Amino acid sequence: MIEISNVSKSYGPKIAVQDLSLHIPNGELFAFLGPNGAGKTTTIKMLCGLLFPTTGTVRVGGFDLRSHGDQARALVSYVPDQPFLYEKLTGREFLQFTADLYAMPRDRAAEKIDEVIDLFHLDEFVDDLTERYSHGMRQRTVFASALVHDPKLLIADEPTVGLDPKSIRELKTLLRKLADSGTTVFLSTHTLDIAQELADRIGIIDRGRLLGCGTMTDLRKHAAMDGNLEELFLKITEVPGVEITV
Amino acid sequence: MTTTLAPVADQASTFRSLRTRLFRNGLRVALEHGRTRLFTMLFTSVFVFVFTLGVGFYLFNQLAKANIPFKGAIVEGLFDLLFFTLGTMLVFSTGLILYASLFTSPEARFLLCSPARADRIFATKFQAAVAFSSWGFVILGIPIFLAYGIVSGVPWYFYALLPAYLLGYVLLPGSVSAALCLLLVRYLPQNKRQFFAVVGVIAAIVIGFWLYKVGISLKRTAVTGGKELDDLIGQFDLFRSGFAPSHWMTRGVMAAARNDLSGALVPLAQVWSNGLLLYVVAAWIAKRVYRTAYDRIAGGGRGKKIYKTSWLDRIMESLVFYLDKRTRTLVVKDFRTFRRDPTQWAVLILFGMLMLFGASNFRQYYSAGLAVMDRYALSLMNLCGTAILLCAGLSRFMFPLISLEGRKFWILGLTPVSRDQLLWGKFVFALTGSLVIAEGLIVVSDVLIGLPWDGVLLHAAVMAVVAVGLSGLNVGLGAYLPNFKETDPSKIVVGFGGTVNMVVGLGFLVMVIGTMAVPLHTAQIAKGMRGGEGAINPWVYAGVPVGLLVGALAVVLPLRAGARSLRAMEF
Repeated sequence: MIEISNVSKSYGPKIAVQDLSLHIPNGELFAFLGPNGAGKTTTIKMLCGLLFPTTGTVRVGGFDLRSHGDQARALVSYVPDQPFLYEKLTGREFLQFTADLYAMPRDRAAEKIDEVIDLFHLDEFVDDLTERYSHGMRQRTVFASALVHDPKLLIADEPTVGLDPKSIRELKTLLRKLADSGTTVFLSTHTLDIAQELADRIGIIDRGRLLGCGTMTDLRKHAAMDGNLEELFLKITEVPGVEITV
Repeated sequence: MTTTLAPVADQASTFRSLRTRLFRNGLRVALEHGRTRLFTMLFTSVFVFVFTLGVGFYLFNQLAKANIPFKGAIVEGLFDLLFFTLGTMLVFSTGLILYASLFTSPEARFLLCSPARADRIFATKFQAAVAFSSWGFVILGIPIFLAYGIVSGVPWYFYALLPAYLLGYVLLPGSVSAALCLLLVRYLPQNKRQFFAVVGVIAAIVIGFWLYKVGISLKRTAVTGGKELDDLIGQFDLFRSGFAPSHWMTRGVMAAARNDLSGALVPLAQVWSNGLLLYVVAAWIAKRVYRTAYDRIAGGGRGKKIYKTSWLDRIMESLVFYLDKRTRTLVVKDFRTFRRDPTQWAVLILFGMLMLFGASNFRQYYSAGLAVMDRYALSLMNLCGTAILLCAGLSRFMFPLISLEGRKFWILGLTPVSRDQLLWGKFVFALTGSLVIAEGLIVVSDVLIGLPWDGVLLHAAVMAVVAVGLSGLNVGLGAYLPNFKETDPSKIVVGFGGTVNMVVGLGFLVMVIGTMAVPLHTAQIAKGMRGGEGAINPWVYAGVPVGLLVGALAVVLPLRAGARSLRAMEF
């Protein structure tokens, strides 16, 4: 589903991502970890087609994001850490807008809207204007809209921020279920226990470089130590690097 | 292998229904919870409309008294200039709004991650930007032409065609500015500051040279009359050529006024067809470059710049030495933000230079002994110009200050600075800057005009009242009618609160200048017309205390209301 080949991305003289290659098959739940400023969000933005690589290619579902971006984006849903909603739309109207944007047939859209309202327990507030929503309500609504059109790839950046423990539990179950049903999930998070619990594979990026990628067993081998993900993460990212500039 | 895709959406209809829903819900909320705001907005729009209509009636009646033909070359020249000026302003305002909504808004980010096509996102944003930037054009344009039509006597279809002309015309500058905005962001050299400095200097030289030539022609015309008038009109050839859209508008409007229907419809078709064509070209450019332009602006970081304190900060701090340390820190913080954004102060410098240029030109007229150019009339115009400049500048830069704190307001809310101090700091910041700029401008330009010292002193006093009052109004109303949801200051300014503030500010200017300065100028002009005979009645200064009282009220009332509102605010 995701093919990132030799991708580098520069912000002026600063290199945010350097020579990144990553292949993620259909139905995998991939957790992308890294310290602040490591290049996670830049990678996600390139996967969504918001930014283009300086060198290399990013393909989603076989479509190159640069030359066939519209087709690639039709397969993707992105849940950012700062969710965007139209303040003067109700949650239901926002879901309808998303369904229309993804060209869902009316009947199917109505069915799916009801389904995600139920799934994310939006029924109590879904007909209120979103300007009155709390952060958690906004996050749930954005998740619902991300899933309303059955995406092939779900990208979530810090999806648990602002959610209560019960919602986090439900979200974790849902993400696993989505991956099991064939949807690829690309998850960026700082919450290491969620990554360890859910992910099929984990990628660790720091200073724009992919330092390690694989299952927990692979990472343990890579770090040459046993332990949980937190210990592995600290070990892998502890090597002091120099900021890369051109 | 590629994945199978869903059918393509009818995105035009999707975005149409989105806009309809947003408008319907916004209106419902306004009617349910913000009726006062809605009606104040309608009232102020009606007020501006009626005021412009009244001024239009007066001016066109003056033309009638002077036996100037309504459907001849002079009125045509005026309309050319009017349309050209409004068109130029629309290019800038639409471009700025479009830049903010295409490249910095969270909505643009959201839509660019969706399968929405680049040209469709552009179309939605373009329509909103044009509507935002041109409502003033329509509110001001329609009454001017209504007044013209009523005074000069025009056929009924002149009125029917008027909205079609104005709506068609906004497409042209809007599309040009949209295309320029996209191309600049996409292909602008990396060193933007250097680029804009070069472009600014070239533009200033060209405009300066043109104004100089207009000035020379005006002087010759006033001295000799006759054929030199052609020279003057020749300076406006650019607006009057067959390629200038402003001239198509003039031609069409004038033809409609002359009861020449086919002559009116051809330019109308020209305006619409060219406007639509340019819009299609702009949308095509958006389709090709919008996404790459966004990528460029998001990824175009420069090397790390180290910001330090400047001697300007120290001057500002010493100017507000009488404040306590905390409030002084806030004032310097606001000043630092202001000085680090060249787009803010560059406009002020440009306007200031134009004003001084105008004043020095007036002096030349006066030195040439032109009776028609009474120095008191000129200096009154100068005073009004400076006051309006100050009003526009403060509305643009000071009114949005509280709103721009936005959702970060809680940071200031949690500091040991009280909210009253916060407001007081912003007021002092606004007052210090506006006093320095306005007093400097008015004194220098009055000296250039050659106004006697009593007139200069009166103007300095009027400008002090104007600066104090406008600072109070802008900061007070900015706190009373904040818009924490908007991050683009130009949208805050043209929004509800900004509009109310602008209208109240202009009303305040009329009252202060009307009571403090107009009586003396009227008496002096009358004296000039009598050949300088007779003394000036001291009662001309009777309005000064009234002006002072109005100034005091303009500070106390809005600041009290703003402080009350700020204290009650929850973050």
